Amino acid sequence: MAVPVSSASRFSVLRSHHPVGASTGYMYDLRGDWPAQVDQAWQVSPFAIELSALAETELDSLAGYLASGPQLPFRYLSIHGPSKGRALPEPELVARLGEVSALAGGIVMHPDTIEDPAPYRALGRTLVLENMDARKGDGRTVDELAPLFAELPEAGFCFDIAHAWSIDETMSAGADLLDALRPRLRHLHVSSLSPELHHLSLTEDHEELFMPLLRRCRDVPWILEAPPRDP
Amino acid sequence: MSQSGAVARSPLEQLAAASGRPFPHLLRARETTREGLEARRITLGQLSHDEDVAVVLMGSWGRAEVTSGSDDDFMVVVRGTDRHGVRPSITEVESVLTEGHGDHGTFGERVASDELTGRIGLDEDTNTNLSRRMLLLLESVYATGRDLYETVTAELVDRYLAESVKDLRVPRFLLNDVIRYWRTMCVDFAGKEHKGPEKWGIRNAKLRTSRKVLFAGGLLPVLECSKLPRDEMPDFLTRQLRMPPTDRIAQAFLTYDASDAGGRALGAYDDFLGHLDDDEFRAELESVTRDTSKESAAFQDAGRLGKDLERGLLALLFETESLPKLARDYVVF
Repeated sequence: MAVPVSSASRFSVLRSHHPVGASTGYMYDLRGDWPAQVDQAWQVSPFAIELSALAETELDSLAGYLASGPQLPFRYLSIHGPSKGRALPEPELVARLGEVSALAGGIVMHPDTIEDPAPYRALGRTLVLENMDARKGDGRTVDELAPLFAELPEAGFCFDIAHAWSIDETMSAGADLLDALRPRLRHLHVSSLSPELHHLSLTEDHEELFMPLLRRCRDVPWILEAPPRDP
Repeated sequence: MSQSGAVARSPLEQLAAASGRPFPHLLRARETTREGLEARRITLGQLSHDEDVAVVLMGSWGRAEVTSGSDDDFMVVVRGTDRHGVRPSITEVESVLTEGHGDHGTFGERVASDELTGRIGLDEDTNTNLSRRMLLLLESVYATGRDLYETVTAELVDRYLAESVKDLRVPRFLLNDVIRYWRTMCVDFAGKEHKGPEKWGIRNAKLRTSRKVLFAGGLLPVLECSKLPRDEMPDFLTRQLRMPPTDRIAQAFLTYDASDAGGRALGAYDDFLGHLDDDEFRAELESVTRDTSKESAAFQDAGRLGKDLERGLLALLFETESLPKLARDYVVF
């Protein structure tokens, strides 16, 4: 499943795009230390960032960090809401997300973690739903996402291009997602995937494969879900 | 109307079809503008008019974006020099255009075309003169005196193209004035804030949205002149500037193969216009100050929509095939 890296120097649509930013989700060693995660993301790009509170227990510390009023350079800031370790009732989780939403351009949620869409309507345009990878049983395709978007008419779409690749390596399913959800597109998750479907730095071959779809998304922030590859 | 009898679709409608993103609020506002304009033309047409006078509507009328809260921003344009006893008088026009007008000093006045075309640059080109000239060029529509209006706007375009314009080059004189006006609006926003917090929220929201549409709607046709011989530029610019700014922008997104981004950018603007038509939303924006802006859902929404619009326009200018080179060569220096 892995795509070999070519040594040839190619045009990089990633390098020519703006803004690109890092997700703190890949900074496993710094988990819990928000200033350190922000510093590392800042090294990648001072223009965009996604602060990942992937475990529900991280949400309080993130809210506390943001409430402390850190001076951040980023012109686009999104927050990835919890996708594991969920214990809070959904209305309470949404209320906590709402508290940090004023500072964020988007609150990204995995559709397969949403049991009842109704409370999420309170997040309005801030809520952004991400397409899932092949390991998940739902939220992967246009048909699987359609009922949730119907319940959440203001929600945006976060296109995880590697997740789309895991469903269909021809990228046809990815094109279908963009065709159907392009008016809602708010940002991209960009990476390659390991055979176990863990996020890896975007390879040159994947960048070339993804290029036709990436070109359709030139107006939204691209968030790297793995460290940028060496130049 | 095409030869087949089918109604030609506007660039905005073409972009809606190409991007899968309808623009219901913009299209409804166009209809509201058309109806309102028709009514005003009939009533204003009953006023006695001198031959060299036109009543011109500006702002949302010129953008074809009239909503429930729109003002009747107007000027009485006199060709040549100003004089006393011009018909219709300002009082007569105000008796018909009863929605009031903003920015006293800019609107609701008699304006001589010689001042608009003859005072470009230097001390005599006041902030008011610059604003009137740019609004006449970029977002205006005649209410009466169509021929006079078309003559004066053509004279203004000719004035900008009279000197130093070459085939297949962007006309820098006009470009610089369009950019200058956008930056003037930004600086004036800060100047008004310094004087007091009144209407900070609505001014800020409009700067992020409708003022940006006004600027981009002027910038894009001027950059397109780089494809034309000099003698075709006046006609091209005149035709472009008679279209609503959102049509000019939609056409650029279609031309540069960026319809998805265009759908999202103008989709955000469409949402903003829809919100602006809501009395509660508008009232909240009008009462927001910098200090209360973080607690205002309306202001936060307007800010996000403004960002979406801006990102689309920046992608058009800096990440399409040929526009980035033009933007680099002409827009900064």
